[in-house]
Amino acid sequence: MAVESEVWVGAAPRRRPEPKRLPTRERWVRRGPLLPALIFAIVLTQLPFLFTLYYSVRERNLLRPGSDRFVGLKNYGKVATDDLFRNAVFNTIKLTVSAVLLSMLLGVALAVVLDKKFLGRGIVRTLLITPFLVMPAAAALLWKTSIFNPVFGLLNWVLSLFGVSNVDWVNRFPMPSIVMVLTWQWTPFMMLIVLAGLQSQSPEILEAAKVDGATAWATFRRITLPHLRQFIELAVLLGSIFIVQTFDSIFMITQGGPGQATTNLPYFIYQKAFRAFDVGEAAAAGVIVVAATIIIATFALRVISGLFQEEA
Amino acid sequence: MATVTYDEASRFYPGSDIPAVDRLSIDVADAEFLVLVGPSGSGKSTALRMLAGLEDVDEGRIRIGERDVTSLPPRDRDIAMVFQSYALYPHMTVAQNMGFALEQAKVPKDQRAKRIRDAAKILDIEPFLDRKPKALSGGQRQRVAMGRAIVREPQVFLMDEPLSNLDAKLRVSTRSQIAALQKRLAVTTVYVTHDQVEAMTMGDRVAVLRDGMLQQCATPLELYQRPANAFVAGFIGSPAMNIREFPVVDGKARIGEVDLPLSREEVQALARDGGDRVLLGFRPESVDLVSRGEGFAVEVRLVEELGADAYLHGKIVGAEHAEADVADIVTRVDPARTPGIGSIVYLRVRPGKEHAFSPKTGLRLG
Amino acid sequence: MAVATTPPITAERAAAARRRRGGKVSGGTVAIGIVAWVVGLLFFSPVLWMFLTGFKQESQASTDPPTFFFTPTLDQYRAIFDRDFAPYFINSATASIVSVVLVIILATPAAYALSIARVAKWRDGLFFFMSTRMMPAVASILPLYIIAKNIRMLDNIWFLSLVYTAMNLPIAVWMIRSFLIELPKEVLEAARVDGAKLFTEMRRVILPMIAPGLAATALICFIFAWNEFFFAVSLTATKAATVPVFLVGFITSEGLFWARLSAASTMAVLPVIIAGWIAQKWLVRGLSLGAVK
Repeated sequence: MAVESEVWVGAAPRRRPEPKRLPTRERWVRRGPLLPALIFAIVLTQLPFLFTLYYSVRERNLLRPGSDRFVGLKNYGKVATDDLFRNAVFNTIKLTVSAVLLSMLLGVALAVVLDKKFLGRGIVRTLLITPFLVMPAAAALLWKTSIFNPVFGLLNWVLSLFGVSNVDWVNRFPMPSIVMVLTWQWTPFMMLIVLAGLQSQSPEILEAAKVDGATAWATFRRITLPHLRQFIELAVLLGSIFIVQTFDSIFMITQGGPGQATTNLPYFIYQKAFRAFDVGEAAAAGVIVVAATIIIATFALRVISGLFQEEA
Repeated sequence: MATVTYDEASRFYPGSDIPAVDRLSIDVADAEFLVLVGPSGSGKSTALRMLAGLEDVDEGRIRIGERDVTSLPPRDRDIAMVFQSYALYPHMTVAQNMGFALEQAKVPKDQRAKRIRDAAKILDIEPFLDRKPKALSGGQRQRVAMGRAIVREPQVFLMDEPLSNLDAKLRVSTRSQIAALQKRLAVTTVYVTHDQVEAMTMGDRVAVLRDGMLQQCATPLELYQRPANAFVAGFIGSPAMNIREFPVVDGKARIGEVDLPLSREEVQALARDGGDRVLLGFRPESVDLVSRGEGFAVEVRLVEELGADAYLHGKIVGAEHAEADVADIVTRVDPARTPGIGSIVYLRVRPGKEHAFSPKTGLRLG
Repeated sequence: MAVATTPPITAERAAAARRRRGGKVSGGTVAIGIVAWVVGLLFFSPVLWMFLTGFKQESQASTDPPTFFFTPTLDQYRAIFDRDFAPYFINSATASIVSVVLVIILATPAAYALSIARVAKWRDGLFFFMSTRMMPAVASILPLYIIAKNIRMLDNIWFLSLVYTAMNLPIAVWMIRSFLIELPKEVLEAARVDGAKLFTEMRRVILPMIAPGLAATALICFIFAWNEFFFAVSLTATKAATVPVFLVGFITSEGLFWARLSAASTMAVLPVIIAGWIAQKWLVRGLSLGAVK
């Protein structure tokens, strides 16, 4: 059967024409009023960072008044070669990867569950988003005293029903404890984003998969997950940025310990700032963290993208 | 034998007492091209989805061949469907789109590739096999959607308004291609459209639906020449048939100042019906321009010139007028000699070309 | 043909069909429901526990095994209100609300500049914005503290509000931008053809259309501002002390009074939890923002 030769059968797609640019005066009339707001916003958000940058190249210790002087990159050198800093980096990576991974896995599973209709779905969703709303500092205290406590904690009480005797979570498993708290807090965040992704699927495509003979699992794996990719990427990116900066939980529960076992970058900086009162080093460490966060986020994104490549 | 049978099948709108499809009974023969047509809300898409298994069947049964598929999920029915929006998997290439169902059926890779190639050749989409849907035009996507269906070699093709998203010219050319393809592949096809021209040109038989109920299921010619009720009469044919109520006096319908004799069966049916009015229908092309005295008078309101044809819209002189400014008769005239607006012309319905319907039930009389 | 009332015969058939259909609730759905409820309750249980503990006597708060049944008492809450809880609450509310209002006012034009009125290299601009949020609060605390001290803005609720504004601006810009790019272009073009100048276009056309998005952004920023602990504790003392500072006050050297702390914590988290529960739809919308590109 020959197809009638329409203009566009087999024709190479034309290049999209350049987006029309408004005449210059029009552009300024449209954008002019916005610039002050944009500039002010940029300035305001940059100010804390700029202050930090400024102090990062100065040597200043609050315990020694009058010790303020310019030292170039000396602080960066000191921080980078500090063993404790390297330890904090590894801890941060461990913490972030674990928490993001676990909360994302749980989040996807729960989103799939919440996507189905069942009795009381709205209430369950309300219950599930609560951890995200609770003040992290209060939550950390709650976990430390009510749940992780070796003698009085709920977790040990539940485990005792299975014959496991008193576990000192905070001291023997500090990292898993923190990861548990973080997962608890961030799963709702992941879940809501993935749920939005699930609900934005085109029903006709899902029906086409049904008619094409796909089982529920095949549909999920081949059709839904690829669609969810952009949502998962977003959630991972945003979540990582926040989780890297975890401070409240560590401050409240382990104080970076035992020893330096759970000292992450923010807590390391805190120690530099409020124990050693070394403004310069603390600031330098802060700047390094920004760079590190960007790297972690990009790395995570690339890994996720790889997971979703469709086989040919 | 891949016949399709709707057996008193019904579907109620969820949470409502109103049937979307009401006791539909149709027998589709093997390799037949059946078109389901009707206005929106007529239940045609619902009926198709019931056949696909995407919509529950609340009453009755549905059979494919000898198998009762009423409770089977779509994947067990051996059907393929072309959706109105094509529903192509956006993240897969054309080849992957076409091969997806075959993968699910565990067809071995080389066989898959061959079937995809053959289908792509038929539809002339071979150059696009490695492209993703977003890089294709609407017409190309439509062909991919068809390719996805034919590659499966199913027992039945289901098509849900596949041409609606194409522009008019492409619709016309694709229409004939689909019909030719179906004849070549000889697969039973159930096709849904709201466009009666599509229905008439493509279907072996056409089933007209309205408000969930089957009005008539017949060949296009029969639908055209012997519509079973006033709705079908007015729905099929373009421009639409003139259908109006006229008083009946002495076995004749009074049109304006002229009488149109009705056939004996029509008169008898009217008498049984017990009424003194008849719903009369006649197609624009069944009306002739005659000279004064031979037909009823019509005041010309509008003349549409279409090149090959011209259509005259007018008001019958002497008949009751329900709405003042609406023309109540359309007739086809010779484009070379169109009467002027405001003039009076005389028209006559060719004898035997009238259709009589009961004013009460709308059903055909005689 | 319009039917005013469904003829009884159809109603009967529909009812019969519903009965036949309604009987089967798939086993799968029930199983999913059970799993969902179990997980939901599990996730909620720590909060529930904290809520309950606020009504216990101190002796019942930390026991082995945990006390599940007790007579509730309002002693802890009385003690909290004796401590004059109200000013902390007001400060938190002030800082949160003021910063949210400021954020929305600043972020909207900025987001607009980055989306509809496409400033060149907007992608870099956006990333630039976000990058400032990547710096932990602890890093900037000393510089901020020093500067605050120098301009005598320590323990000042307005300074804290400003800090919160700076903290939330990146997120707000990202979110509002994502809502703006969802607007159908034709509507904006129609407004322009109708002669709307920029300000009118924004006020009468754009703002009403993204109002839910703005609400969602405001809610998220409010949550972050209210729950913020570190800046609050470091930059305030007495006059501007917010709720987190109040909490810290309970961690005294005498040891943890867990029942009282639970009550205080409940008070601390209640506003945001209630806001989040009520405005759930907005919360979901805000969190899934530009994911739908």
